[in-house]
Amino acid sequence: MLTLWNLFEATLLCLNAVCVLHEERFMQKIGWGANTQTQGFEDQSSMKFQILNLVRSIRTVTKIPLIILNILTIMFKLLLG
Amino acid sequence: MGTPAPNPAFSPTAYSPGYAPTGPPPPYQESFQLDANQDFNTHAPAGNFGFAGGFPSPMTSPAQISSMLQQPVVQDMAIQYGNQLAAQGKEAVQRELHKFVPVSRLRYYFAVDTRYVIRKLMLIVFPYTHKEWMVKYDQDTPVQPRYDINAPDLYIPSMGYVTYVLLAGFMLGLQHRFSPEQIGIQASSALAYIIFEMLLYLVTLYVTNTSTSLKTLDLLAYSGYKYTVMISSLLAGLLAGRTGYYCGLLYSSCALSYFLVKTLRLQLLSGSQGPEQPSYGFPNPPYAANPYSDAWDKPTPGGTKRRVYFLLFVAITQPLLCWWLTYHLVASPPGEGAGPAR
Repeated sequence: MLTLWNLFEATLLCLNAVCVLHEERFMQKIGWGANTQTQGFEDQSSMKFQILNLVRSIRTVTKIPLIILNILTIMFKLLLG
Repeated sequence: MGTPAPNPAFSPTAYSPGYAPTGPPPPYQESFQLDANQDFNTHAPAGNFGFAGGFPSPMTSPAQISSMLQQPVVQDMAIQYGNQLAAQGKEAVQRELHKFVPVSRLRYYFAVDTRYVIRKLMLIVFPYTHKEWMVKYDQDTPVQPRYDINAPDLYIPSMGYVTYVLLAGFMLGLQHRFSPEQIGIQASSALAYIIFEMLLYLVTLYVTNTSTSLKTLDLLAYSGYKYTVMISSLLAGLLAGRTGYYCGLLYSSCALSYFLVKTLRLQLLSGSQGPEQPSYGFPNPPYAANPYSDAWDKPTPGGTKRRVYFLLFVAITQPLLCWWLTYHLVASPPGEGAGPAR
C-alpha cells in the first residue's frame, strides 16, 4: 500500500540509484557521458539528452542531502523496525 | 538565556527567591519568554509579601525597590521587543513560503462561488452537451473560476479529497474494518498518490521536452477532479453493491476522460501563445492549421504529437487511478467474506 512513508522510502532508493551511476567509470563507457564535445545544439531536445541532463542535475543537487537522509533513515529503521 | 536562576517565568512564586540574596538580577533577561501574561506588576506584591515573610510593607529593601522600579519599564520594553521578534519571524516565514508556494496564484484557484461549483460538478458528471470549452482570458491572464466555468480550480479537488477520506472511513466502517487509524492511513495514502501522480506528470513533461501552457497548479487541479468520480462510484457501490460500483465507475470514467480531453486539448494544443489561438477555429483540432510542419520535422521540440500522447496518457491514467484507489473499499457481495485487508 502506498503511504507517505513508503513513498519516501521509494524516492530515497530511486535517488540513491541515480546518484550511484558514476560519471567516469560507467556513463562514459556506455556513451552516456555528459561532457562529450560531439553534442551539437540540435541534440538538445532529444529525450536521451533530457534524461541524462536530469540524471546529472539530480546527482549534483542531491549528493550531500542524500548522505544525511540515508543516515537518518538507516538509524530510524534500525531503531524502529 | 544566560540567567543562572531557575526559570521564574513559569512560577511566579519562584520569582522572589532569585531577588533577595544576590541583589536584583536584571529581570529583562528572564522575561525573554514572550509571555505577556506574566504581568509582574500584579504578581510582584504577592511574591514579595510571600518572600518577606510577614513584613508589613514590601518597600523596605533597596533591592526590592529597584527591582520594582525596573519592572513596568522593562516589561514594556520586553513586550515590544517580543512583538518585534514575532513580526520579523512572521516576515521571514512568509518570505520562505512565497518561494515554494505561490500564494497569490493559489488565491486564484480558490476564487469560486456556489454557482460555479454546482455547474462544474454537473459538467464533470455529464460533459457531453457542453459546447464552449475555451477558457476566457482577460488580457493574458485567465479569468477567475468565478466567472468562467471552464477555468480550473482547486476548491473542488481539495473538498473532494476530504470527502473521499471521510467516505472511505464510512465504507470501512460498514464492513467492520474501521479503526481511527484507518482515517489517517487512507488520507496519507491518497496524498502519497497525489504526489506520485504529479511527479509522474512533471517528469514526463520534462523528459519528453513537451512545452505546454499548463502550469503545475493547473495539472494539480485537473488531476484532482477524479475525486468526484471516485466519490460517485463509491456511492453507487453503496447503493447497488459491486455491480453498481463498476457501472458507476465505468460511466464516470468515460465522462471524466471526455471532460479532460476536451479541456486539456485546448490548453495543451493551442501552442505557447494561448490567447491568440482561438481565432483559428477550435472545434476541430487546432493543430490542423499547418498540417505539414509536423510531418517534416518529426521530433519537434514541444511537438504537437507529444502533447497529444501526453493528453492520452493523462486521460487513461486518471480512470485507472480512480479504480486503484477505490476498489478495496467496496463491499464484496455477502457470502464471499470481507475483502483482503489493505
